[in-house]
Amino acid sequence: MKTAVRIREDLELKNPIITASGTAAYGEELSEFLDLSVLGGFVTKGLSIRPKRGNPTPRIAETPCGMINSIGLENVGIPVFLKEKLPYLNQFSTPVVVNFFGETEDDYVIAAEMLSIEGIAALEMNVSCPNIKRGGIEFGKDPESLHTLVKKVREVTKKPLIVKLPPLVTDIVVIARAAVSAGADVLTCCNTFPAMVIDENLRRPLLGNVTGGLSGPAIKPVVLKLVRDVSQSVHVPIIASGGASTYRDVIQFLLAGATAVEIGSESLRNPLCFLEIIKGIEEYMERFRMHSVSEITGTLEIV
Amino acid sequence: MKDITTRIIKNDKVAEKTYLMTLEGDLTETKPGQFLMVQVQRSHEPFLRRPLAILSCRDRMIEIFFTVRGEGTALLAEKRTGELVSFIGPLGNGFSDPAPGEHLLYIAGGAGLPPVLSMAEHLGRGMFIFGAKTEAEIPLHNRLQNLEGIQTLFCTEDGSLGTKALATEILSRVIKSLPTSTRIYACGPREMLRQTWNIAAHAEIPCEVSLEERMACGFGVCSGCVVETQQGNLRVCREGPVFDAQDILWGSR
Repeated sequence: MKTAVRIREDLELKNPIITASGTAAYGEELSEFLDLSVLGGFVTKGLSIRPKRGNPTPRIAETPCGMINSIGLENVGIPVFLKEKLPYLNQFSTPVVVNFFGETEDDYVIAAEMLSIEGIAALEMNVSCPNIKRGGIEFGKDPESLHTLVKKVREVTKKPLIVKLPPLVTDIVVIARAAVSAGADVLTCCNTFPAMVIDENLRRPLLGNVTGGLSGPAIKPVVLKLVRDVSQSVHVPIIASGGASTYRDVIQFLLAGATAVEIGSESLRNPLCFLEIIKGIEEYMERFRMHSVSEITGTLEIV
Repeated sequence: MKDITTRIIKNDKVAEKTYLMTLEGDLTETKPGQFLMVQVQRSHEPFLRRPLAILSCRDRMIEIFFTVRGEGTALLAEKRTGELVSFIGPLGNGFSDPAPGEHLLYIAGGAGLPPVLSMAEHLGRGMFIFGAKTEAEIPLHNRLQNLEGIQTLFCTEDGSLGTKALATEILSRVIKSLPTSTRIYACGPREMLRQTWNIAAHAEIPCEVSLEERMACGFGVCSGCVVETQQGNLRVCREGPVFDAQDILWGSR
C-alpha cells in the first residue's frame, strides 16, 4: 500500500496514523465508530503492573484550542489488560502498541517483560513519571536516569521499543540522544505539556489534581518544531504526537521529520477524524503523484 | 455510531439562561436519561463537544435542553432556526424501568430537570417535585404543570413560585406518605442528590440518580468523568450517567 510506513524493519504500519495513548482506551468504545483495522497502529492507554485509580475529578479542563487532562494514568493493570483487553484488540489487523509506565526502574523492567508476548507489536514507554531515587525528577527529564532506564528495559525485550519524550526540557535533543543511545528504536515526540487552569472567582485550580497535561491544536506549532529538532539529531524514526487534528497537520509533521503521527485530543471531539485524515493523506499523495510516505518524511525545504 | 449533522427547528429560551432546542431527526431506541455530545462549532474553539440531555425524541424531532454556563453553551444559545448542528449519541445508560406496580417519585433541581422530566413523560404516572432558586429559573412551567398522570409540586428557594423550600425538604415531608414500593428518579446538584439518597435510604426506597461531571469525549475513552462507587471508579458518560444511589461513594468530593 502506498501509505504504508515502516517504524522498524520488522514492523510496518498500513498508514502513518496511530491513536495516542489515553485517548482510545483499550479500543472497545472507539470501534463503535470505526473499524479499528483502518488504523496504522493502536496505542493503548498507559498501563502499569498493578491497576491504578487515577486522580480526583475534575480531570478535564477546556482551554483555548485544546484541553488539559489529569486522568492520573488510571488503568486496569497489565494482567487484566492481557486477559480481557488484548484479545479484543487482536481481532483487528492493526498492530497493538502498549504504552506502559512504572514508579521504579524495576517496575518498568517487569512491565516490559510481561508485555513481550505475541499479539503485542511494540512497546511505548511513558517516561514522564517521577524517579524517586533521583529526588523525584521525571525519568525523561534527566538524560542519565533516562539512559539507565531505557537500557534496562532494552535488555529484557526484543519488541520495537518506543520512548515517548517529555516536551518541557531544557534541550530535547540531549534527552532524545540519551534514549537512542540506550537502545530506543523509535521516539514519540511528545507527551502533553504540564499546565493548569485557575478559576479566578473561587481562587482555586480547576483540576482536582491542580495541574495536568495540555493537548490539542494549541500545542501543534510547538511540537512541530520539537519534531524537527529531534529528527535532525537522531537517526531513528519519530512518531509525532501533539495537536494533529487534520490531514494537513499530519503532512506537516511528516515534512518536519516524523514517520508516523499519533492522533489524540481531536479524536475525543471527533472519533471519525481517523477516516477523514487517512483519506486526506491519500488525496495529498495523489495530488503530488507520490508513491510512498517516505517521499514526504523529512523533506521540508528551507530556501 | 455516527456523527449526525441536522437542522435546528427551533431554539427557544424557556427560562433564565435555559434553552430548549428542537432538532430534526430520529434516534432509535433512546432511553430517558441518555444524552448527546453536541458540537458547538466546526472550528477548534470551543474545543470540546457539550453533553446535553435529551428531553424527548418523537415525530422526527429531538428535544435537547441546556443551561448557559460558559462560552460553549452561550454560543449554542445563539443558534437559530435552520442552522446546522452535529452530535453523536444517544450516549450513556439512561434510567431503568420500574417494576410493575411500583409507585414513582421524580425529583429534580434546577438544571437537573431534563432527564427526570423525560422519564416522567415516558412513564406517565407518579409524583414530580421540581425545585429552583426562583420563579424565573423554572422552565416549561405549563408542560410540568400539565404532565399527564403526574402530580407536580413546585418549590423555590425564595418562595416566588410554589412552596418556599428546597426540593429535598418537600421530599422529606412527602416520603412518609409514600408506599414502601416506591422508586425515586433524581437529577440535580450533587448536594441535592446526596440528600435525596439519604432520605431515600432511611425510608428504604430505591433511588436512581443522574450525575453530572466534566467530560471530554462523552463515549468512554478518556476516563475524564469518573465517579467513585462501591465497584471502583465508573465513567459517568458510559456506565452512567444514571447510577443506583446506594452505589455512589457520596463522601468523596
